[in-house]
Amino acid sequence: MLLAPIDWIIIVVYMVGCVVAGVWMRRYVRNVEDFAVAGREMDLNLGVASLAATEVGIVTVMYTAENGFKNGLAGATPGLLGCIMMLIVGITGFVIVPMRNAGVMTIPELFENRFGKHVRWLAGVVVILGGVLNMGIFLRLGGDFLMYVSGLDPSVSFHLELPWFSFDLNMLEAMMTGLLIVVLLYTVLGGMLSVLITDYLQFLVMGAGIVVTSVLVIWNVGWSNLIDGLWQAHTSGVKLVDTSIAGETTKVAMAHPFNPIKAFGWGWVTWQAMLSIAIVTTWQTTIARVLSARDASTAKAVYRRTSFYYVGRFGLPGIWGIGAFLYFWHQGGLPQGMGSLTAMPAFLHTILGPGLLGIVIAAMLAAEMSTDSGYLLTWATVIYNDIISPCLRKPLSPWAKLLTVRLLVLAIGVFLVFYGLWYELPGAAWDYLAVTGNIYLASLFTLLVGGLYWRGANSWGAVAAIVLGAIGPITFLVVNAIVDKKDQISPEVAGWSAFGMSFAGMIVGSLVGQAMGKGQPAAAESSLPAKEQAP
Amino acid sequence: MIDTFFIAFWTVMVFASIAWYGYLLFHVGIKGGWDIVRMIRALSGQPAKPEASGPKDP
Repeated sequence: MLLAPIDWIIIVVYMVGCVVAGVWMRRYVRNVEDFAVAGREMDLNLGVASLAATEVGIVTVMYTAENGFKNGLAGATPGLLGCIMMLIVGITGFVIVPMRNAGVMTIPELFENRFGKHVRWLAGVVVILGGVLNMGIFLRLGGDFLMYVSGLDPSVSFHLELPWFSFDLNMLEAMMTGLLIVVLLYTVLGGMLSVLITDYLQFLVMGAGIVVTSVLVIWNVGWSNLIDGLWQAHTSGVKLVDTSIAGETTKVAMAHPFNPIKAFGWGWVTWQAMLSIAIVTTWQTTIARVLSARDASTAKAVYRRTSFYYVGRFGLPGIWGIGAFLYFWHQGGLPQGMGSLTAMPAFLHTILGPGLLGIVIAAMLAAEMSTDSGYLLTWATVIYNDIISPCLRKPLSPWAKLLTVRLLVLAIGVFLVFYGLWYELPGAAWDYLAVTGNIYLASLFTLLVGGLYWRGANSWGAVAAIVLGAIGPITFLVVNAIVDKKDQISPEVAGWSAFGMSFAGMIVGSLVGQAMGKGQPAAAESSLPAKEQAP
Repeated sequence: MIDTFFIAFWTVMVFASIAWYGYLLFHVGIKGGWDIVRMIRALSGQPAKPEASGPKDP
């Protein structure tokens, strides 16, 4: 069954509404501050909608469902940890309050006040490396979801004959490139203002889709059947064969479906806890909402109110993944070419009827678009603000600044089309995302904590923390790409080593710098950001 | 015993999440709309609505 006319109507109305609203906000963009942080006019509920929409993309739904497919309900553990950490930060204001009060547009900008210009630049490079690589798999996973949930074959391609050359156009790649062009259109024109408005629309559509789908999955499977099925799958040791990567077969067994320690082990769970606190204080797309908030109090309230959203972010798509595991298990196994990532959308296709399918596809398009626009804008702002701007002898004129950031959004979009559509995931999607994010999370978290709360921190420690923090995850990516599966480094080892090396670098580097009487920028004698020190 | 605890815990988490998403959909849906109106007024240079949905704590 392919899409019915009612599904197409829902999807087209939603897409047109988003583009019109996004492009309409262009008229309010007067300068880079309006473009990057919405003139710092964002209020609480708009902040909640925007943060929730940005942090739930199709990629999120895919990897959290994959967690459910492989680990049952225990797969929602990262969401639970994220909720706890977000709540703690929202109550205490840890990191986010001094950051908002500093009046900066990006995290690396904060470091210039404390550690000097070269640390800001280096931090910007690491942020971009981790952030853009992280975003690299969004399009492919998003396309996989949309193809499978629509009942289409992702390998279908069309042969196009043009007068001067001919080529094969893959349907998945064409669809995701088209979607990215729509996102680029309103993000390039309206920046954060367009992102906020479209995030709001997307929050509504996405929220409705997630609730409807979750209720439908539980209704179809039955809650007690789901719990019993998980336990039977685990105790019987049943294995589903994943053939999603050509020429490679992987057997997927259900880990302990309820107990996270038995499913993952202490090393992984504690790494996830560490990663969660780093994400909520350091992940630039999350922090962009803190920096766009009217004041620090609003930023804290956004965090408190969004915190429980993180449980559902993992738990609800996790239920869809569990439903997929049980469905294909009872069908005798996964069809050829299907894997742990694509089983969930294929399962949803079997239970969603006309109308509902349109709502769910619109919801997932909403999730993808809000995430892509938020990420594109954030990374472009960091490239301009922290990599290009510190190298300029003379500041650019306001229109030139705006044009530069818009061109950067466009350039990242072009990069994503090429990198995102040919990269093949070597392992679990969540592990890839966590490890690429770790390239900068470990080092920037160390710099933030050191810079804001340790008077002894200096630029020697900061540089050492950045370099050492990036080595672990980059080594993981390179080694795992070239060695056999059995010899690969586990994600928790790569993750913990990044945090450990980064903290060690900050402490040892700062102490060495102090001993040599170096490493302290002349302007930064206090641990507070410069704008807070002003009389 | 420990498995029963985890099953009960995850059951509460899943159903509470569905309820929370449903609640936020309406609450944030309505108040977020007003936030957009206030933000657009502020950006247009017109006087902003006094009661934005910002937190009341000092």
